[in-house]
Amino acid sequence: METKVLTKDFGLDHLYRIGVYLEQGGYRAVKKALTEWKPEQVIDEVKKASLRGRGGAGFPAGLKWSFVPQKTDKPKYLCVNADEGEPGTFKDRSIMAHDPHLLIEGIIIAAYAVGIHTAYIYIRGEYELIARRLEGAIGEAYAKGYLGKNILGIGFDLELYVHRGAGAYICGEETGLLESLEGKRGNPRLKPPFPASVGLFQSPTVINNVETLANVPFIILNGAGWFLERGSPKDGGTRIFGVSGAVNKPGIYELPVGTSLREIIFTHAGGLKPGRALKAVIPGGMSCPIFKADEVDVKMDCDCVAAAGSMLGSGAVIVIDDRTPILDVLSKVAKFYAHESCGQCTPCRLGTSWIHKIVKRMAAGKGRADDVETLVRLSTNIKGRTLCPLGDAAALPVLAIARKFKAELENTMKGNA
Amino acid sequence: MAKIFLDGKPVEVAEGTTVFKAAQQAGIAIPHFCYHPAFVPEGSCRLCLVEIEGSPKLELSCSTVVREGMKVSTQSPTVREARRGVLEFILAEHPLDCPICDKAGECKLQDYYQDYGLTESVFREFKEKREKKVRIGDKLILDRERCVLCTRCVRFLAEITKTHELGLFERGIHAEIGGYENEPVRNGYSGNLVDLCPVGAITDTDFRFKTRPWFLTKGESICPLCSRGCNIYIDYHPGFPRVPGSAKVYRIRPRTNDAVNGPWICDHGRYGFIDLQQKNRCQTLVWNKGERTAEWSWDKVLITIGERVKALRENGKTNRISLILTTWLTNEELFLIKKIFKDGLGVRNVFFADPAPGPEDGFLLRSERTPNRRGAREMGFDLKAPDLNALVPDTDILFIFGPHFAGISHDGAWKPALEKIPVKILVTSHLNELASTADFVLPAAFLAEKNGTLTNADGRVQKIAAIARACFDIRPESQILLDLAREIRLDDSYFGALSAPEAVHHELVKEIPFFGALP
Repeated sequence: METKVLTKDFGLDHLYRIGVYLEQGGYRAVKKALTEWKPEQVIDEVKKASLRGRGGAGFPAGLKWSFVPQKTDKPKYLCVNADEGEPGTFKDRSIMAHDPHLLIEGIIIAAYAVGIHTAYIYIRGEYELIARRLEGAIGEAYAKGYLGKNILGIGFDLELYVHRGAGAYICGEETGLLESLEGKRGNPRLKPPFPASVGLFQSPTVINNVETLANVPFIILNGAGWFLERGSPKDGGTRIFGVSGAVNKPGIYELPVGTSLREIIFTHAGGLKPGRALKAVIPGGMSCPIFKADEVDVKMDCDCVAAAGSMLGSGAVIVIDDRTPILDVLSKVAKFYAHESCGQCTPCRLGTSWIHKIVKRMAAGKGRADDVETLVRLSTNIKGRTLCPLGDAAALPVLAIARKFKAELENTMKGNA
Repeated sequence: MAKIFLDGKPVEVAEGTTVFKAAQQAGIAIPHFCYHPAFVPEGSCRLCLVEIEGSPKLELSCSTVVREGMKVSTQSPTVREARRGVLEFILAEHPLDCPICDKAGECKLQDYYQDYGLTESVFREFKEKREKKVRIGDKLILDRERCVLCTRCVRFLAEITKTHELGLFERGIHAEIGGYENEPVRNGYSGNLVDLCPVGAITDTDFRFKTRPWFLTKGESICPLCSRGCNIYIDYHPGFPRVPGSAKVYRIRPRTNDAVNGPWICDHGRYGFIDLQQKNRCQTLVWNKGERTAEWSWDKVLITIGERVKALRENGKTNRISLILTTWLTNEELFLIKKIFKDGLGVRNVFFADPAPGPEDGFLLRSERTPNRRGAREMGFDLKAPDLNALVPDTDILFIFGPHFAGISHDGAWKPALEKIPVKILVTSHLNELASTADFVLPAAFLAEKNGTLTNADGRVQKIAAIARACFDIRPESQILLDLAREIRLDDSYFGALSAPEAVHHELVKEIPFFGALP
């Protein structure tokens, strides 16, 4: 069975132009959904397909859509999270760069299903070229009548805008994204209320990841059953795994949800360089707890990875070989989250910085015997006690590294002494 | 109503109540920095976390609404550990400069550390260095090292004054409170930021380094600087036991009363009160006559004044007594004046000299800048301003209460006019040019130095009490008035019974039931 769905046409020249896209059968899903299906049918089909969010939390997309109130006197909004800031993640950019119309198509269908007439793509500031490419594609879609007023003559309107972020990781957190989009400091909001009821501009809002929406046209065209066949029963379709680090062939690999992590590393990404051994893998982006080399026989779907004690996250597989000191990995993790903590809530603001200070001292050769123990205690005090998931994102990897590589870290300390 | 279980104890609270408020109603205090009843919950300090049965994580008590049958634990080991963890994070970066911090003694961080912390520090790193003396308003200093970023100040300026002077800048460990374009906080309510700050991050230049909170006594009173009648605390040093009148007021703080001022007061009242209490006070009893100014005893002065009044009375000329009053006077004092002068002596010439009305600010500050104009009106006084032409020819004895008569005209036209009146008696808490024109100057009590009630513009009768006496030889006006009534032997049985503290108010309510609505 052909596994490539999203990335199947990536090789085509100028796929990002609407002409080429239409030649490949583009916008058929929009036509089918808007002219043949009722909005509820679309939501039902996506629910049946078990499409789970590809941004990190893995929340079922159809369910998320159905949380938005049907009857409301406020406008509803769709925000596409293209802030792709999780270290190790580089899948959404490939979709937007190669196949922007696929995303637009997904946006139109999602907007139609939920009854939304305004959508924003919140794209990270660093993706300047891609933002321009999206703007171009959106212009073409307007010109062809897939966006704007009275789409396909069915009386459905949709305005789509691209909004560039300014480079803060926290703006990839959905409520931080909303604040930023409203023109404010991107501090996450207290939940509840959840964005589905009070989101952008105090109105019901759906926030979906780029890859999540890019899957929607295929569910419409081929049905939920077809989609489920390509993944796990509770986690349908394929995922774009971004493999980076110490492998022979780093890059993006679209594979069925549930492919084993070992297969991704050793079969698809070409394994490690000769003479090197696998030391550890971060399975879903830097915020996910690390796996040791003997833990890679795990099926990569949300539930299986969670059962193994980590998270599938954004599907960003970071491979670490035996020549990398684990302290280096820890340093990167600690520095990143201390730098990206928004500073709003106490445990994250002060905890991440304290952890970073300890790790920096360790890396400078001034570690102390009780440092690892302190790291475990501090991250435990952050975990689950912060306002937004960034606290967990910072604490979980530190906790995992400190626990699983305690011996190595303590050996380093001994060397220092 | 919803029934919930707080630490195993069943509690009934209204639907929609937050866990925090439910606990508060049940007498359980939950530590918090960012939560304030006047603001939308922020949920950023993470101190108010509680354990709710069935919830995988600790939940915020400030924003979680109760559900029927909810089982909440506010003191479980997990909860205590979480609070200890948060305090540990804060204290790790805290400068711990309590010995020189104005907040020490009433600092939430100190209190919570006593309750939940008490651990040895394992922080071996360098603390962040931050600015310790940022001038953010006319009387406000921000210490960024002490700040716990609860953002109460930011939210006060955003939600209450809507002036948005302060914001959160930078991020992570570098996050800090600051002003946009370094504009100062200047909105007439800036002093509230000091009360709001749970730690010593925002301090008041009027209070900074002056005293320690544990030396201060807290007295309940009413702000006299406008007719809103904001409820206040007067924090004063009670003075030295052998030196009467040595009490010193150090600061004024709002006393929450949702029917009047909520939890706030304005800067006009906050800073104006201390000035009034301490500056230009009239402290000595004076009799001016000819070239000699001699200090007289209260008894002698009152006897002399009494004789003057009696002389007029024997000639049936008490209508040649005139009064210039102020609405700084309490309801009870106004009542005594009414009973003695209007009803007892038949005085007709009654005027009111009050400070000029100021602009209203649309929030708390009202244009009437004295506390009791409504009370005077309800008492049946006509609040007309002094008319010199009507006053001078008809007056042999003039009683002036309060210092404001000097402000009725800036050209000093009142001065030659007053000279023509044979006897001028000034009863005042404050000194100004009037004192040199008056024949008798009787030092009176200011509002924090006497008992009584004031009626705010909405007709609310509120109590004030003799709290902090800042002067030695002063007497409350009510005492002066009763002494005078005794001197002139005016209805002895009636006035003689009024010397007990509550007696005048009791009599007032009997005669004018309006004043009985004492909350």
